[in-house]
Amino acid sequence: MEKLNVLVCDDDTAIVDALEIYLKYENYGVVKAYTGIQALKALSEHKIHLVLLDIMMPDLDGLSTTIKIREEFNIPIIILSAKSEDTDKITGLNFGADDYVTKPFNPLELMARVKSQMRRYTALGSLVSNSKILKTGSLELDPEAKELRVDGEIIKLTPTEYGIMLFLMKNPGHVFSTEQIYEHVWNEPSYSAENTVPVHIRRIREKIEINPKEPKYLKVVWGIGYKIEKY
Amino acid sequence: MDTKLKNIKYSTGAKTAAFIVVWLCVMCVFGSGMFLLYNHSIISSKSYYDTYKFKTEFNILLHNIVELKVKLKSEESIKSSGETEDVLKNNLQRYYDLEKQITNTVNFAYYIKNTQTGETITNVTKTDALALIQKQPSAVYYNQLTYEPDYPFGGDIKQLLTGTPYEVYAAVIEPLKQGDVFYDDFMTYSKTKTIATYVNVLLVTTIILMILAFIYLVVVTGRQEGGEITIPFVDRIYTDVYSVLVFIAALMSLAIARSISFHHDLVGLYVLALVFGIDVLIGLSYILSMIRQIKSKQVIKNTLIYIIFDLCFNGRAFKAWTLLLLLGYGALNGILFAMVRSGHFLLSLFAVFLLVAFNIAAIYFSAKSLLSLSQIMKAVKEISTGNIDYVLDKSEISVAFSGFAENIQSIQGGLKKAVAEAIKGERMKTDLIANVSHDLKTPLTSIINYVDLLKKEDLNSEKAKEYLSILEEKSARLKQLIEDLIEASKASSGNLAIEAEKVDLHELVMQACGEYEEKINKAELDVHINTADKNILISADGKHMWRIIENLLSNVVKYSLPHTRVYINIAKNDLYGLLIIKNIAASPLDIPPEQLTERFVRGDASRTTEGSGLGLSIAQSLTNIQGGRFKIEIDGDLFKVIIEIPLWSEK
Repeated sequence: MEKLNVLVCDDDTAIVDALEIYLKYENYGVVKAYTGIQALKALSEHKIHLVLLDIMMPDLDGLSTTIKIREEFNIPIIILSAKSEDTDKITGLNFGADDYVTKPFNPLELMARVKSQMRRYTALGSLVSNSKILKTGSLELDPEAKELRVDGEIIKLTPTEYGIMLFLMKNPGHVFSTEQIYEHVWNEPSYSAENTVPVHIRRIREKIEINPKEPKYLKVVWGIGYKIEKY
Repeated sequence: MDTKLKNIKYSTGAKTAAFIVVWLCVMCVFGSGMFLLYNHSIISSKSYYDTYKFKTEFNILLHNIVELKVKLKSEESIKSSGETEDVLKNNLQRYYDLEKQITNTVNFAYYIKNTQTGETITNVTKTDALALIQKQPSAVYYNQLTYEPDYPFGGDIKQLLTGTPYEVYAAVIEPLKQGDVFYDDFMTYSKTKTIATYVNVLLVTTIILMILAFIYLVVVTGRQEGGEITIPFVDRIYTDVYSVLVFIAALMSLAIARSISFHHDLVGLYVLALVFGIDVLIGLSYILSMIRQIKSKQVIKNTLIYIIFDLCFNGRAFKAWTLLLLLGYGALNGILFAMVRSGHFLLSLFAVFLLVAFNIAAIYFSAKSLLSLSQIMKAVKEISTGNIDYVLDKSEISVAFSGFAENIQSIQGGLKKAVAEAIKGERMKTDLIANVSHDLKTPLTSIINYVDLLKKEDLNSEKAKEYLSILEEKSARLKQLIEDLIEASKASSGNLAIEAEKVDLHELVMQACGEYEEKINKAELDVHINTADKNILISADGKHMWRIIENLLSNVVKYSLPHTRVYINIAKNDLYGLLIIKNIAASPLDIPPEQLTERFVRGDASRTTEGSGLGLSIAQSLTNIQGGRFKIEIDGDLFKVIIEIPLWSEK
């Protein structure tokens, strides 16, 4: 199998070097760049499968670079930035990035995200389409096999956890309160449900999300309930 | 030396002395002027014989002598004249009187000659009587054709001589001897002449002295020792009022002078002098006061009229203005009403018309003024409720309130400026924290990464591993601190978007406890949730609410005594949804509750435990920006947080 190449672009050489080490651990090929212009040049010279891109850089900033890359390539772009505002994240994603990671990041989390994006990118189109499979993003629930897959990997769930996921995946984007979830899954009225449902939800999140505190799929709507994000 | 001179120049003593000098001089000038005027004829005459008084005395005497010697002649000639008894008796009486008068004079000499008979009548004993008389400077000559026209009664004498052959020579014989009226008059004359020369000198001297002293007073008045201008109390009296008072005083003294001038006695003169002296005193101080006012440039400003106008039309005290208006309004209405009642038909009709028109105009203008006032009040209300951009339409404001409106506008301007500056400052502060945090995050990324990489290397030393774990822990802490710092600065500056939704407080607490279940178990705490009402809906931003509860639960987990119970109560009152969290602190809390929500204050003074010290501060700020209230109570080891968030209401 051909080695997958990652372009790392940041004006801080220490960060670029550290990322190189991590990526090489994961058996990725690494191309380094320190400015937006260099990144565009590297893209034209090498076959790149994924880009890690800083925002604040000299000559061409990360967002402009993202736009330029998107003009030619469909490869995943993960933005690395010290800007942690929600608006910054939304701007980055709107400009065509696939993910947004704030500095200082957890290296393991970043690697998980890289792998996730890489799997989604390389596996694109190879999945067998099954109409019965419930799907949002790269989260798939197969009711027949009673399996939950994230980026193609099977997640082990308890029956209760599976029941919750099945109920939520059937109605993606819809917010359900703790009480509603309990009554549907346990099939009995919630007299003393207390925090049973929230505890289960948290455990599921820890299994399926790269960063459970910033979930991608199973989201908490505070004071209202929970939902599966629709992608 | 100079300053000493100056001090003397401006000293009160010198000024008082000058004042007295001026007063004395004026009195003196007046007195001597009066004297000179009174003795005008004496002073302007060349000699005693030129004086009117002498001429009068002289001619009266001459007339009597001529009457006696020419007309009456003697007792026998009167008796033999054949007149009626009455005339006879009268003439006889006249004869005796004249005889008596003539004997009283010592210095008078006459020479009457009958040109037909050559007979002469004279009182001169010497032989050359005629020559002696003609030699005198006072000599006169009369006959039926000739007389001295500038002597009083000259014509009368001439009339006596008409139709007679007599001619008359008369004179006062020099040197004058004591014993008659001429001698006395002459002595008075000589005395007056001598005094007059002195009085003239006195007059000139006092005039010069008066002018000098007055100029000095004009220069120094109002200036203190040192030269600065000071205004004595008397100048506080309004200039116009002062002028009127002085004028009245002058009129009064004129009236007094008039009533006195009819009594030509010494007492009257003294009273007159006294009144005049007081007048001069008043006048002088009035002039000096005016000069001081001119010097301090407040002649006009210090008038009562000016002050009234100023009060009325500069809008400083519109109460006074209103009062005047009311007075004017009442007075005019009264006059018009009186005209209506006058009985004259045309006048009444005219007055009724005026009365109606005037009252309509008055109502119109007061309504307009009140409208202006209500507009200003509206603007003030708008501004006070926070709408500082409210525009007060100045074209609608009447003149009386325009000053007021301007003041309101300038207050508004100041407020706007202050608010803008406060916002700018707060934003700068937030920006600064955001920028600094950003610059801290980049190197921190490398630290975290390389610490992690180092962990993966083969480290033989146990100590190296221990050190590394400390580095890892502290860098994670640093990361948390920076994030909290940004959050705290945003929350406290209100630089945070709030998307208020309908939030179920019970659901929220359930969710939060679910998130914290593991940590609570680990801290060996027993959480009891008491819900009074399961349907408490609050108006809040769910994310911010989660952040608040997260911070509080994080504190509970960190600082609670293990194996104790934590109570979370959910309730509501009329306006707020209540969330109360109670736990038992592991170590004594020696800090007042108010201080705990200050930034970077932590329950443990040693700061050994993890945490930024920003948790409660953030929770409080977030509660406040959502319109809620945040309160901490400490009772021994019981730590209690009460959060009130506005209830949801369907609008």
